Order: sequence, then structure tokens, then C-alpha cells
Amino acid sequence: MMRLLPYIVIFSVVFSISAQDRSEHAPGTHLAFTACPIARSTGPDTDVCFLAEYQGVRYVLNNPPDWGKPELGHQVLVEAQIVEGALQCGALPLQGRVSVLAELDSNCNQILPFDGSVVGQAGGIFNSGTPQQRKEALELARRAEQDPSLSVQPANPETPPPEPPAAPFQPQRLIIYFPFNSDRGSGPDMLEVVKLVQYANAARAPISIVSYQGETLLSSGDRVTERTSIAQQRGEKMQDILQGLGLTAEITLRWVDQPLSGDGVADWRNRRVELVVEL
Amino acid sequence: MRKISLVSKASGSLLLGPALALAQPLYSGDESWWSPEQAGTLLPQSRYENSTGQLEVLNATGAIPTAGHAFFTPLGSNGRACVTCHQPSNGMGLSVDSIQRRWELHGADDPLFAAIDGANCPNLPQQDASSHSLLLEKGLFRIFLPWPPKNLDGSAMDVEFSIEVVSDPTGCNTNPQYGLESENPTISVYRRPRPVANIKYLTELPHGVPPHEAFFYNDKSLLPKDPETGEFVSMQLMSDGRGISLRNQARDAARTHLQISGELTEPELQQITDFENQIYVAQVYDNQGGTLVGEDMPPGIGPQALRDGAPARLGNNPINKIFGSFAMWLNLPIAEEETDGQRQQREFRESAARGAEVFYARRFLISDVGAYNDKGLGNPFNRSCGSGCHNTLLMGMDLAPGFMDLGLNNFPWANNRSDLPLFKVTCDADAVPQSYLGRTIHTNDPGRALITGKCRDVGATMTQQLRGLAARAPYFVNGSAANLRELVDFYDRRFNIGYTEQEKQDLVNFMRTL
Repeated sequence: MMRLLPYIVIFSVVFSISAQDRSEHAPGTHLAFTACPIARSTGPDTDVCFLAEYQGVRYVLNNPPDWGKPELGHQVLVEAQIVEGALQCGALPLQGRVSVLAELDSNCNQILPFDGSVVGQAGGIFNSGTPQQRKEALELARRAEQDPSLSVQPANPETPPPEPPAAPFQPQRLIIYFPFNSDRGSGPDMLEVVKLVQYANAARAPISIVSYQGETLLSSGDRVTERTSIAQQRGEKMQDILQGLGLTAEITLRWVDQPLSGDGVADWRNRRVELVVEL
Repeated sequence: MRKISLVSKASGSLLLGPALALAQPLYSGDESWWSPEQAGTLLPQSRYENSTGQLEVLNATGAIPTAGHAFFTPLGSNGRACVTCHQPSNGMGLSVDSIQRRWELHGADDPLFAAIDGANCPNLPQQDASSHSLLLEKGLFRIFLPWPPKNLDGSAMDVEFSIEVVSDPTGCNTNPQYGLESENPTISVYRRPRPVANIKYLTELPHGVPPHEAFFYNDKSLLPKDPETGEFVSMQLMSDGRGISLRNQARDAARTHLQISGELTEPELQQITDFENQIYVAQVYDNQGGTLVGEDMPPGIGPQALRDGAPARLGNNPINKIFGSFAMWLNLPIAEEETDGQRQQREFRESAARGAEVFYARRFLISDVGAYNDKGLGNPFNRSCGSGCHNTLLMGMDLAPGFMDLGLNNFPWANNRSDLPLFKVTCDADAVPQSYLGRTIHTNDPGRALITGKCRDVGATMTQQLRGLAARAPYFVNGSAANLRELVDFYDRRFNIGYTEQEKQDLVNFMRTL
């Protein structure tokens, strides 16, 4: 019976959605709304997941790695497209971006306790990485059981440095997208910046930075706009990063104070910095 | 320093057993205090008794003659040396037990109680114990910082908040000579000294977590660079991150804590940092658990493990479990006709091993921690002590590096501390607010924000290493946990964890072994 429970709950969620007007929630529909995130416990040993309700329907809140997970105590801005797929976190899947809004909102305080309907997936070195890395981790664990001294040797592998860029060189373009009113790029984005600087240095080429701030057209018809100085802030921060990473060639920086207007379709793309290695 | 005969002192403990076979000298009581200018030799290995067992100090480069050595010599005007507040017997930190013993022996004449920061405020009558109450009761030194803060290069900083004094039990923040309204506006906060040992783990940049060997995890700005070397620095050294390198920290400490006139010389700086870079400390013996190091013991215990270990690696995985395996202490065999001493040792070791597992694996909802949950992790974040904030292999700091507002300084989470100043921080309307407290914050110590000028950093301090804990109570940056049990209770209360009584004791026993 316990094994059936998740499927019963999933069925009931789908059924409740189907009882509503599905047209507004069909795959491909673009949504933009603000809401309190809801945290959901997925078990004692797994991460919580987050969802939000819009017009009576629950949507899962996902982002690319290190882009920033939702936070209770704050509303989120959801800019995403409904996509096909199984329910996640007991909610419809979305593809897009979720931004944590900076201002406190004490109403955003709901945690759904673990009820067995949504079970988290274990992470860690046995469950992530390449198949080879997982195999090596399991092998190391087996050997560490026999030889505990291995348990104080680093189990996480060192990341090998990337191959140095080599000629022939081509113009390069990197776009980094930001959460609403934020200048924080993700870790994976900054890895790309590191590579770009290495490339520019190898090519002895300058980098131009153009930074933007954005506006989002909400599904309600309202518009939300970022604060006026954020484009400059993003651009100057990126300039500092390029210099600090040792870019030897010239940097040109330009920012656009006028927010790029939103049309309700992936408006998160308006909040960006464009980096171009010019050859 | 007088060396205590290993046989005459150590054999006082029936449980010492295997320690007798070791060649290290054992120091205890007043003899374990290293006074400034005390000529002697800090041996390659030496042991010091503390309330729960023995700590070992290991000098990786061999014996250190202390006569004339810059770390052990009073270089300033107040008679203190670096060693005054970084005692080998106290894990290169300073316990409140040692502080109280110095007062009993020498009163205010001991340089430890120098008016500049060993008193609640320099203007107080220095012969009165009450004028040193924060040091005597909580082990806190006065840290006086310029207000407003300045950038690393000395230029003016765009500070995002104003600060006012709500209550001032020490009188220093409202004092016309030392306070916020003085000619040189200064803010006084009160903090514990950090251990100066196992340093390679603090200064090495993170491995295996790219791009964070160059980027600060929280906001993905670059880590600061040491102006002397041009290299990125880890920011793990000090609670507020202001001393960005050992040399920088030594200069700052010489100026403020030692009251040196001028600057440290290059040979002095070199000698101090060379010494700091080679000293390792950890607990090696427990009064209940017996010897903690050697064959068939947990491999992460003891200073040799730290000397030989790889610094700045993540240990939050099921193989490393931060401090290595304790599994050999689980389900120990019961000897036939087990003596009370044997039973006590077995039960302690089993308890410590369970505590290691609680530390590593028992998750709870970490919530509303400023500068932590808001760095992309989500609020709440379901993690254990080890897989969450204390993730550095063998050391237990946050590798991130982890400035965070655990709730030690800021209301409403902070313990009620009527002995500490209370500030009201009001952030500018256009500043990014502190993530879970907003723009008006009451705090005993604005922490990292006094260095960055950022509203969202108010109350944040750096996690610190968990080695040699038994030798250096009290705990936390403000000394609010008198012992390890109070430390566990704080977490249990703060995060509503619901540890059982057994789990709490197991955690305490586990931390005693580090």
C-alpha cells in the first residue's frame, strides 16, 4: 500500500487540474507571476523542493544550478513556460527562471510536511557525476571500509584544469542572465567567464561588455521593472571580475539604463550581460 | 616553563594507559601557561591537560626556541606577546579557565588584561575585576573598529546603513574618547580569539569546487587579493574577514592587541608566520575514552592527521564524513570481566562514534540564516551539521568561505546578552536588506558588515575550525556557549532540531575528541 501512495496522490493532483480550465495551463503556455514559494519536505535525508500556486494550480520552482533556490520569507518572480512531463514536487513542471525578490514577506512561510507523496532523490557522490565517477566513489567507499585511513583522503576528485585555448581563434560570445534586481551570476556561469578570459588572453583579444536591465510583463498584465542602477552594477562587477581574473587586453564597458521591455515571454532574458571576445 | 614529570603527573589518571608509552612531555595547571618573554623550547610534540583530556601540540618543523622569537616576545608597550592570547595549552586559542587563573595569580598586572582590549573599556578602573568582566566571564576581547568602515586600500566606503547604540553596558561605545561620537569614531564589539593552528587549512584556497578558488560563493564576486602577493585569499582567518593574510593579521594584531609603536619588521613578520604555518593542535586523549590516536583509532584525530592531511577540500560526503571514519568505535566488543574503566572507555568511544554520525548525517531544516540560505541554497535547506555549514575535510569550517548570521549576534535568535552592547542598524531604503531581518536590525555585533558596509552582512561571522575544542571553551564568536553541551543546545533550539538526550551527549563526546 505504501508503494502505491505516491501514485495515488499524483493521480489526485492531475485530476484536480483537469477539473479546471486546462487551456491556461497547457504545455507551451508562458507564465509570469509573483507568489510566495511553498517548501515541501521530501524526506528526512533529501532536499526540500519548492512550488508555487498560480490561479489555483501548483507549479514546481526550478532553476539552473546555483542560480538561486526559492526562499521562504520572500516572494518569487516566476518567468517560465509550462512544459510536458511528469509532476515534480507534486506540481506541474516549468522551464524558465525563478527569482527571489529581495523584500521580506512574512506571509511566505508555508512548509508542507513529508507525507510520502513526493520522495526526494538522494544526492552525493554515489548518486551524481558521471557513471565512472560514481563507480570510483563506490569503489573508494568499499576500500575505505577495509582501510579507514582512506576516509581522511579527499574523496571528491580534483577538477582537472581545462585545456589551454589554441589558435585558430574565433570571436566568442557569452551571455549571462541574472535574477531580478541581482548582480549574482551562477557558479557555472562564472566558470564560463574564467574560460572566456583564458581564451581572450590566449588570443590577445579585448572583451566588450554590454549590460542590460529588464522589465517583465506579468500574466496579470502588470509590469515589474528592475531598479535603475542595476545594469551599471552588473557591468561594473563583470569588469572587475575580468580584470581580477587577469585579462590582459582592453575591456570596453557599456550599460543600457533603459530597461528592455517585457512581452511576457521569457522576460528573464532581458536581464543580462553580454561578453564578446573581439577578433 | 616547567615540564611536569610524565610519570608523576600523568600516572595520576588510571585511564591514561597508552599515553605513558609516549615520549611527549605532559603539562598541566599553571605550568602549562606560556608567559611572554619566557625562554624555553616548544618541543616538536607536547601534551597539555584540559578538563576532558589532553591536547597535543605538534611543531612540524621541530623544536622552537622561544627566546627572542617574535611570536613569544612582547613587541609592544603592554607586555603582551602573540602567545599571550594564543596559548599552546589552549589549542593556540584561549580558554576562560586560563584567563581566570591568570587573574587569580596576577590580577590586572598580567598583560593579558591590558586596558586596550582586555578591559571592557580602557577608561574603567583597571584593578577592578568588574572592568574585565567580559574577558573573565566569556573570554571576550574588545575589538575596536573604525566607523564608518573603509575599503581595503583605505579609501572611503559607501556604507549601506547607519548604526546607533541602544544599550552600552561597557560604556565604551558612548564614551567620548573611545565611542562612536569620539574624535576618531570607533565601534567596540567583543569577540573570542581564534586558534592560531592548523593554518594551512585556513589559508589554502578551496580545491575541487571551481570556480570558488577565485569566487566568493555568496555573491559571485571575486575573492579579495593579497596586495603583497597579488593572489586570491581564502578569508578564513578572522571572524569578520578583515585580516586577509597571516601577514596582514599579524600587523593588525601587533598594532591593536600588542600596542606596538611602528610596524613589525620583516624578520619578525617572517618568524611569526613561519611559526603559525607549521603548528598543529588536536585532542589526543580523553579522560573517559582513553587514548584517541594510534592504530585502530579514528584516522582523523590528532595533530599528525592534520599535518598530513590535504587542506581546503570538501569532506561532506559519505566517505570522508568531514573528520574521517569513526566506525571502528561502533559496537565494540565487551571484554570478559570488563572493568569499570574499560566499560567507561568503551561506552565513551561508542558514544563519540554515534555523535560523529549525528554530526555528519542527522539533517534538519536550516532556515533564516542570513548570508547562508540566501546564497542560492534556498530557505529552508535540509542538511546536517557536517553536510551543511561545517564541511571542510578534517577541520569543519565552511569551505565556501562561510560568513553567516547563525543567530549568534542578531535578534531575535541571539541569546539575551545584557553584558554586550546592543546596536540598532538601519539600512538605507535602496540597500539590499538582510535577507531574513530586513532593514532594521538589533544586534550585539554587526560582524562582517563592519568590514563590507553591506546591510545583508549584518551579524554575519565566519565559521571556524572545530579542532582542539576541549582546550578552549567557551564557544562561539561571542562566548555564549560555556561548554559543548550549551553549544549543542543552542543549535537544537535555534533550528528546532529535536535532538534526543542521547544524541546531544553523543555530539558532545564526539566534539571532545577533535
